[in-house]
Amino acid sequence: MMAFFFLISGIFFVIPVLGYSKISMNPQQYELSNFPGINQTQYIFGSFFSNLSIMLLFLVPVLTMRSFAEEKRQETLELLFTYPLSDFEIVAGKQLGVSLLFGTLLVPLLGYLAVFRWLGGEFDWGPVWLGFLGFCLLGTAYLAAGVFISSLTKSPIVSALGTFSVLLLFWLLDSARDVAAGPWARVFSELSPLAHYKNFTLGILDAQDMVFFFFFFLYFLFLTLRSIETRNWKN
Amino acid sequence: MDVMNPPSSIKFDNVSKEYGGFRALRDVSFDVKEGEIVGFLGPNGAGKTTAMRILSGFFPPTSGRVLICGIDMSQHPHKAKRAIGYLPEMVSLYPDMKVIEYLRFVARLKGVSAHELHGHVRNKMSFCGLLDSGHHLIGRLSKGYRQRVGLAQALVADPPVLVLDEPTTGLDPTQIKEIRELIRALGQNRAVILSTHILPEVSMLCSRVIMINQGQILASGTVPELASCLKDREAIHIKIRDRKDQDRALRILGSIPGIEALRVAGEAGGETFISFETSPGRDLQPRIMKLFVEQGISLAEIQRLQLSLEDIFLGLLKNGKSGRRFP
Repeated sequence: MMAFFFLISGIFFVIPVLGYSKISMNPQQYELSNFPGINQTQYIFGSFFSNLSIMLLFLVPVLTMRSFAEEKRQETLELLFTYPLSDFEIVAGKQLGVSLLFGTLLVPLLGYLAVFRWLGGEFDWGPVWLGFLGFCLLGTAYLAAGVFISSLTKSPIVSALGTFSVLLLFWLLDSARDVAAGPWARVFSELSPLAHYKNFTLGILDAQDMVFFFFFFLYFLFLTLRSIETRNWKN
Repeated sequence: MDVMNPPSSIKFDNVSKEYGGFRALRDVSFDVKEGEIVGFLGPNGAGKTTAMRILSGFFPPTSGRVLICGIDMSQHPHKAKRAIGYLPEMVSLYPDMKVIEYLRFVARLKGVSAHELHGHVRNKMSFCGLLDSGHHLIGRLSKGYRQRVGLAQALVADPPVLVLDEPTTGLDPTQIKEIRELIRALGQNRAVILSTHILPEVSMLCSRVIMINQGQILASGTVPELASCLKDREAIHIKIRDRKDQDRALRILGSIPGIEALRVAGEAGGETFISFETSPGRDLQPRIMKLFVEQGISLAEIQRLQLSLEDIFLGLLKNGKSGRRFP
């Protein structure tokens, strides 16, 4: 899975780099008279990050599918609840676990920065770091949703499929935003995680987007807590 | 607290538990003191596992209080849970962890300090005979060894209260004997509560029995105490030489007033065993012998049986259904 992730993310990086070099060789052909106006960083990393968000559709279900579902399947959760731990500590621990795993997957991506540098790219650090920050926030928010779905079932496969469907729905929300008109377009764009993420990839830091991801994360954390509390009244 | 009356290790105070509309436990109260091994008995679905789960802190009761060594479970769950070692019915442990890793993980969760950790875990492993299996994956262990790991994790951090849910199910006879010896050794300076459906195990291990049925305590006391509750019943066993006489014998016995629960207990090598219950003091033996001789049935044996825990249990259950309660 990790190898797959690095392969695809590598392809996502190489395509805009090649695309950019093609344009820069022959700007007139693409009717770009004022070529220096195109920002290298934005062209390459903007497209890199927005493609990368599609990877999350596949990565997040796999990272989160075992978190609670596997413990339920193996019935190890029962013993965990009898240890001196609160429900919050258990959920926070699971969340931290998947987030750290996700974080270690991101570290090698920093290697692309080195490659870019080596190719002689001009750097605009701000948008690049912002892109990474946005990707981390989007990923963590999605992971929270995945952990919640995992807590609903005792089958990791069902958890992965469920998470995939929900993330797909969020992705469709972003497309619906383009189709819908009037107030609905606004509703969709405010609810769509990808719309908020897009600002980060464009190098725009807006408190609204940060707050959105923060509450998205808290909301699913809260739902997970409620979900594991159901053992109190469900037989 | 005064010195003469130390707090009970386990105290259930009017505990009830409801799932949806179903009342799994109704106003259950009992105490267990240090040094006691208490057997928890009941038919399936009686509320045994629910009671064990409340006791272990898996979920809180709907109403009532649970005190562990004087600590209220609902107010200080961390402290109370640290005082308990729990061995669940299905011992499910993380299959892809090594024994020693798992026990260290539990020790850290239960607050064993870092410099004691190594010695503490080794100590529990040696007590449960796991020293040679420390680096094996739990998933690769046999059922008996997994049970030992389960017991070892319950013993980590030396809890004064042990809750063991069916500790010997699925083990072979040697393993059962070993686990029982471990439990007996553990019960000397702890409070142990043990649920089981193997009744001889209770007579062997437990100093006291709590019987539970339909979410309520049916009876509680030592085995002889419970037997004396049933003094109004006596079991009699008859052996007949010839199986062909079985129907006639049953007819004769059925016609004698005061004989209940008449049944064929078994057949072996042409002989038939018949058992029935009657009230004590009614000396039916001479009458039965006389009737059998008249009819030409050859009687091999007539015997008054000691009530076993099974009989007590079934008797109490039967009387309990008619609304009777025992001390």
